Amino acid sequence: MTLAIETVNLTKRYGRLTAVDKLNLNVTANTVHGFLGPNGAGKTTTIKVLVGLLKPDEGEARIFGEDVSGDKPDVRLRIGYMPELPKFPKHLKGSELLDIYGRMYGLSQQQRRDQLPKLLELVGLKGREKDLIGKYSKGMQQRLGVAQALLNEPELVILDEPSLGLDPIGMVEVRELIQGVVKEGMTVFLSSHLLFEVQQVCSHVTIINKGVALVSDTIENVSHKISGPTTLQIEVTKLTKTMVENLKKLPSVTDVKTEGNKLNITLETQEDVRPQVSETITNSGGTIVSMNLVGQSLEDVFVQLVSKAGEETGGENRD
Amino acid sequence: MTRKTTRPNWITSFLAVVRYELLWNIRKKKLYGVIIVALALVTLQLVLRIILSNVANQPLKADPDFAITGIGIGDMGFFLFALVTVMNSISGEFESGTIVPLLTKPVSRTTVFLGKFFAASVTLLGTYVVLLVYLAAGSAALYGPQNNLHLLPIVLFGNIVSTFVWMAIILAVGALSKSSMLAALVGVGLWLGLTIVGQIVAAFSGQAWVLTYLPGTGASGYAKGIDSTPPFGNMSLPSGLQVATGTFSIGPNMVTYILHPSAEVTFYKMEFIPRGMPIYTELYTETLSFILTRALVVTAVYILVFSFIAWYALRRAQVAE
Repeated sequence: MTLAIETVNLTKRYGRLTAVDKLNLNVTANTVHGFLGPNGAGKTTTIKVLVGLLKPDEGEARIFGEDVSGDKPDVRLRIGYMPELPKFPKHLKGSELLDIYGRMYGLSQQQRRDQLPKLLELVGLKGREKDLIGKYSKGMQQRLGVAQALLNEPELVILDEPSLGLDPIGMVEVRELIQGVVKEGMTVFLSSHLLFEVQQVCSHVTIINKGVALVSDTIENVSHKISGPTTLQIEVTKLTKTMVENLKKLPSVTDVKTEGNKLNITLETQEDVRPQVSETITNSGGTIVSMNLVGQSLEDVFVQLVSKAGEETGGENRD
Repeated sequence: MTRKTTRPNWITSFLAVVRYELLWNIRKKKLYGVIIVALALVTLQLVLRIILSNVANQPLKADPDFAITGIGIGDMGFFLFALVTVMNSISGEFESGTIVPLLTKPVSRTTVFLGKFFAASVTLLGTYVVLLVYLAAGSAALYGPQNNLHLLPIVLFGNIVSTFVWMAIILAVGALSKSSMLAALVGVGLWLGLTIVGQIVAAFSGQAWVLTYLPGTGASGYAKGIDSTPPFGNMSLPSGLQVATGTFSIGPNMVTYILHPSAEVTFYKMEFIPRGMPIYTELYTETLSFILTRALVVTAVYILVFSFIAWYALRRAQVAE
């Protein structure tokens, strides 16, 4: 298993403020890894250490096994990085910027000629590439940010809040773009404070708060690891007292609430007990019209973890 | 798409940075403003003697050495061009946030620094060529055929080296402070201080030699035996060509040295007397070759020291914002 990103006890301080606190992070190659945390959690600071913009105070950070501290162009060759709210020189045209960055990556003239139109098409900037960047909207600059991060088809793409400041349509487009990138077989490290974005795009997630990693695993496992109540919402043709009593007798059921012909069954387990529940209702003379298992979403897990961490440590968030 | 697994060679990276910076420089409105001001100053220089001749009601004489001995771009020109080409070269990238995508590309910070410095030099070269060609053409048109025009590239070299001193200082302040405004303010303050206050204090204290070691015009002396036309008629100046020792006088001094290799320069203390012309007391004499060598060394030290500071500041800089 190759690690695209690895940090060991990574610590970064701004004066007295510890932005990243002994962070241990492992991102497996060829996965889409979400880096989730509230604003000011330390996500951007961690990323800036990874791309060489900040030096760690303690600990280590490695990209594909290579230490990132110091001026390491060879490491940066393997990374495509889109900063949070990227800023590009306003005096350059979009096509000029991509051409110059392409030269910095060592792309030949032919490669740049082939690559640039494809990228501009991919990010939806075709037709505007001859305009000065100073005339681009925020959304267009975000798109340009994605394009320059993909110029070299890097092994690792780091996207820091790619949807920040975009309208809903722009957000959907950026998500689609990221999903398109995944198909190309790159490792994607996506920092976001938007839970649904991470849930829709990523296979793995690390949740960070106050510079500390709270949990890191696949999204499924993260939801599963955090034990919490699951609810079964069932609609039946005819609700009877016997049915409710029989359901309450099931070992994993902690509570049954009724409303008209609807049942809300609270379960204590993460296991799938729908067959037993279905059998009990049928044996009690009922017919199921619909059944919906409402599990913990990533949002529930996130809120739970962040609140718990807040209660335990107190203090301010930072980025 | 095209995955690159090996870094481009250094020249490719360097030229990419140069291209990036040059496109910025040539699109700076400030640069064109300064070129217009410089053209205006050169024009004034060209016509000043004609105006004075008319005022004094004297015939205008042909001067075949006007282009080569003319003041050229001048101290203020060197400073202004240095200011507009590099005042936001590094600090502006930090202020605008464009440093983030730039420093995360596979180009070393040393290459970024060298590329920026080189691009500023190319911009300067282009601008100075335009100004010197204008000065030479104007001199020929107004004062007749000109001698020694083949020495103009020497003047050009000297002017660029002189400007590098201010470029290095302004770059260093900008890279350390990450503020273009501070770089400009410190630059203007130093220039005014050294040019105006320094000259006055040094001239009256008789310690003008100090100025030789500071960025600027330096101390002024007179090379006896070399004819020159006083700028404002018959002032009571010592005889000979006026020679300055500072980092800004390398171009003219190189030309004078080529034309008069054994020239010696005498320095004076100036004293004002009530209701009379100033009195010049001789202080000491130096050979022009020594003055030139010393100025080149002092200039090289300033360029290297402040460039090193700017490079080191960029190399160590962390981008938190």
